[in-house]
Amino acid sequence: MSNITHIKLDNFTSFAGLDQAFSPGVNVIIGANGTGKTHLLKVLYAACAVTVGEDKEKGFALKLRNVFNPYEGRMGRLARRQSTSVKTRAVVTREGGAKLSAEFSNHTNKPDDVKVTGETSWIKEELASAYIPVKEMLAHAPGFLATAAKREVAFEEVYVDVIKRAFLPKLMGPTDKDRQCLLTALQKAIDGKVVAKGEHFFLKNRQGDLEFTLLAEGMRKLALIWLLIQNGTLLSGSVLFWDEPEANLNPALMGEVVEVILELQRMGVQVFLTTHNYVLLKEFDLRKQKDDQIRYLSLFRDESEAVTAKASDSYLGVDPNAIAATFSDLYDRELKRSLGGIKL
Amino acid sequence: MTVLAEDDLQITLPAGVTGRKFDDETSHGLSHCMKAVDFIVELGDRTYFVEFKDPENPKAKPKDSAAFLKKFMSGAIDSDLKTKYRDSWLYEYAEGRAKKPIYYLVLIGASMLSDADLLTRTEALKRQLPAEGPNDRPWGKPFVAGCAVMNLAAWSKTLAHMPASRVGREMEN
Repeated sequence: MSNITHIKLDNFTSFAGLDQAFSPGVNVIIGANGTGKTHLLKVLYAACAVTVGEDKEKGFALKLRNVFNPYEGRMGRLARRQSTSVKTRAVVTREGGAKLSAEFSNHTNKPDDVKVTGETSWIKEELASAYIPVKEMLAHAPGFLATAAKREVAFEEVYVDVIKRAFLPKLMGPTDKDRQCLLTALQKAIDGKVVAKGEHFFLKNRQGDLEFTLLAEGMRKLALIWLLIQNGTLLSGSVLFWDEPEANLNPALMGEVVEVILELQRMGVQVFLTTHNYVLLKEFDLRKQKDDQIRYLSLFRDESEAVTAKASDSYLGVDPNAIAATFSDLYDRELKRSLGGIKL
Repeated sequence: MTVLAEDDLQITLPAGVTGRKFDDETSHGLSHCMKAVDFIVELGDRTYFVEFKDPENPKAKPKDSAAFLKKFMSGAIDSDLKTKYRDSWLYEYAEGRAKKPIYYLVLIGASMLSDADLLTRTEALKRQLPAEGPNDRPWGKPFVAGCAVMNLAAWSKTLAHMPASRVGREMEN
């Protein structure tokens, strides 16, 4: 399997002309609200998803529409909003040079009218992936898939997809050492194993089975990662997309989450994550080892209000750093208050 | 113009402001039983207790710098800073000098500390001194008016009238 090396987005949602290379390891995307962090994740995920299973038949255009879920399902609503007509293009490149591209305009309605190129050779090689949305979904799994299949809920498809992946059966055969290590570490953090009974998930430990609806939301996220490793979704050569891993997680658990992400990267999983969280960023900075590959992408709006990106392979090189800037502002105000108006 | 220096760190006081070395064995006279902040600066309406910590001192061994930063990040330094302030305050009070509101300024010579780190230590120090009395109410007679943990950049931005700098760098210029 070959990972994602590059993306080019022209007039796609808030991006005017994003042209960005990725790390084969961990890609950490930061930026203020509304700078398109989740959008970036979703485009990349759609490109991965269409290489595997039933999504192969959907094709890139339909998958894009389903993960974004625009109003009335109109593709044109994913075009960058301008007063004139715009041409939109999204091109994803993989290691080895394979490219998948989708072109449409703000007037395009149906996914069928999107010009997709490179798809035949793109889907020849599978690129397994998982997308973990901000909202935890396993607790809501019972009945969700059936309801979603009847199109009775207007959820973005990423929610359906992650539940389907969580339901995959345990990978057969012996578990290799790296994966076993990770599973054991996670079991320690969540204090148990995850079992599914019908459509219900439970945390199983010495005290018995605890249904997910009674489990802290942060714990459910770690439990999901455990499931995805155990059932072989996250293996070497796969891609993990994780939107705000910090959501509902106590900062004290952040170190363990970062360690799991780094360990997955060491096993050969490519990771894309978004974050608003200083502790998470700093944990990456402090826990990074010599051979770990981490790239920070800072998204921000330029003078023309279009979103652009700056990349850095070191934490201190992240600029602008919207998260650290928030702390600087707090610190400034704390100093002013603490020193009670500086006078001579 | 008075310059208060300790090893490689210094602050320059504006005209009319006086400052003295406080952590001096001879003049302090009670070093065997009381800790002391490095300097005391007297302004018209307030007093500053000033403490320097310099892990990036050019003469410091990398191992010592790393150990200090670890102590700083983990919060182990808070108790050290607290004791220095309290003992100095008691000394000044007993000498009949603590008449104006006293602010505690800690200057850390470490450029790599982020504002988040400095904010965390400022808050922790406030809790340790403690700046507030029991049950979250103000002291009837406060013994600290405010405190701040700053690096050189934050100090010079906040206290622009008495900037902090490195002695060595000045001599190079």
